[in-house]
Amino acid sequence: MIEFENEQTNVEQKVDNSANTLLDKEEFKNPENIAFSCRNVDLYYDYGEKHSLKNINIDILKNKVTAFIGPSGCGKSTLLRCFDRMNDLIDGCKVTGDIKYMGQDINEINTIYLRTKVGMVFQQPNPFPMSIRNNICYGPRCQGIKNKDTLNKIVEQSLKDSALYDEVSDRLDASGLSLSGGQQQRLCIARTIAMSPDVILMDEPTSALDPIATLKIEELIKELKKKYTIIIVTHNMQQAARISDYTAFFMLGELVEFNETEEFFAHPRDKRSEDYITGRFG
Amino acid sequence: MLEELNKDNIVQEDKKFKRKELTDRIVKLIFLFIAIICASFVIFIVIFILEKGIEPFVKNYSLVEGEVVQQNIGLFFTNTRWLYDGNGGMGFLLLTTLYTTLLSLIISIPVSIFTALFIVRMAPKRAKPVIKTCVELLSSIPSVIYGIFGMGVICPIIQMAPVQTFAGNSILSASLVLALMSIPTITMVSINAIEAVDKSMINASIALGASNAQTNLKIVLFSAKSGIFAGIILGVGRALGEATAVQMVIGNNANGLGFYNPLNPGMTLTSAMLSGIGEASGIGYDVRFSLGIVLILVILMITSILNVVKNKMDVIKTKNSTSVIKKIGKFFSSDIAFIRTYFNDKFKKDSK
Repeated sequence: MIEFENEQTNVEQKVDNSANTLLDKEEFKNPENIAFSCRNVDLYYDYGEKHSLKNINIDILKNKVTAFIGPSGCGKSTLLRCFDRMNDLIDGCKVTGDIKYMGQDINEINTIYLRTKVGMVFQQPNPFPMSIRNNICYGPRCQGIKNKDTLNKIVEQSLKDSALYDEVSDRLDASGLSLSGGQQQRLCIARTIAMSPDVILMDEPTSALDPIATLKIEELIKELKKKYTIIIVTHNMQQAARISDYTAFFMLGELVEFNETEEFFAHPRDKRSEDYITGRFG
Repeated sequence: MLEELNKDNIVQEDKKFKRKELTDRIVKLIFLFIAIICASFVIFIVIFILEKGIEPFVKNYSLVEGEVVQQNIGLFFTNTRWLYDGNGGMGFLLLTTLYTTLLSLIISIPVSIFTALFIVRMAPKRAKPVIKTCVELLSSIPSVIYGIFGMGVICPIIQMAPVQTFAGNSILSASLVLALMSIPTITMVSINAIEAVDKSMINASIALGASNAQTNLKIVLFSAKSGIFAGIILGVGRALGEATAVQMVIGNNANGLGFYNPLNPGMTLTSAMLSGIGEASGIGYDVRFSLGIVLILVILMITSILNVVKNKMDVIKTKNSTSVIKKIGKFFSSDIAFIRTYFNDKFKKDSK
């Protein structure tokens, strides 16, 4: 442990893990396969006082599930929020470096357009205090879709896609808050799908749920990855191993290692990843 | 040996804790008693006003000419003039009161809600406390100052209207003054309601691609609506019950046929009670208490109706199956039973 801390103070000066995080593989060479790419991304909170992300270099593949794991406060949720620019809402937060979405700098894309293309599911299930139908219609309505038939189709399709349709089809006008926790979280996913995004960001979507609801959400994620790019932040290593194709391991604001999930758990290249996986800390 | 020691210990400890629990319960009862006295002042006031207010209908008053009069009950509801000779009618006063309040709410509700929304959601970080303090200060200004302001500023402005007015003293000026007075109340309560909206809900809306304006109108106001409505209820109470400021600007026209036009002078229940009260005597004095009954009844009715509407509006409904009286009964009975058994046990031991 002491050894490890020394190591940390040494790398505090300059972090360069790009050798461990940028993969030299066929899929990553074609720019059309890449949904997000980050180069030298640094993020500061509290007007520069807190350095929360240090020199992040990572590529996220399209139509794959990428999991971000790491101990609490390591910056994995922060990086996730960079992708749909939710960090803009926080006072005193500054992002430097390049983040590109489909090859375009995200600062040049209109935020509202970006957020319709990059959906987000939060840690706590947070349906709006309205009916199930209105919860799902909220996003499309904000984009100006008013036709009732179109909206009904969207509601049906997104409920089916989020595996909630059978459970709620007979009470679409009941309050979204009347559902159970797991159903609420799937409603939040349905709400996100209703915008027909390309990417779905999930910020620990199962940490507030019981094991059975978690299982359902995981099955749903496996189903969703056929259509969408999914980035999921999780505390649970087993969950990352179960559902993700690629895994990124974060530690104290730096991206330590990024690899295919199987390889990452079988042969971690960095000692810190190995320690974390084997449960020596964290 | 050891076991006996333990037993003794336990008995002693038990006594100690019982005494502690006893003081706890007695203190609770004392506090409840004080709270009930406080709350029962409402009942005392209502009884007092009722008793004094019924007098003009039953007691005989002698006027200057030697006539003996009582307040006429039929005319009390139907007459369109407010007189102090037993024939005055309060129907139009009531209508004017409601009309003035409505006009003031039409102005104050949107202004307050948007002010609150601006302060919580849009104001720059440094401007926020400044604006908030200003609104707070506004609510602490006494009503007579609002009245003077209305006389000195609002009435002259109304007087500029291209029609004949009663020196600007009108229902419209009263509504404007009432709006000014109720804006801080509604705004402060709305600020609290809007601040209490779940942040994650706002984030979810923004993450769905809604603009800030859409989020504010559809999510923030929607979630805070019952809290904002509570503020509106307070504002209605303030507008209905305000006397001094209204009396100073409304013109006190005791002939009530013109209340439909906001530029006409009028008279509300409160201003009728207040104007000339210093010189009043006999039936002219006592009949004001009858107006007081009407005012109290109207305010109680309107606020309770609005409260029912508000409870229906609540986003998350709490079910209250047991009635309040039963709950209070339970609250009492367990404590009294405990105290009684405690002293019973003690007396028995003492007598032994």
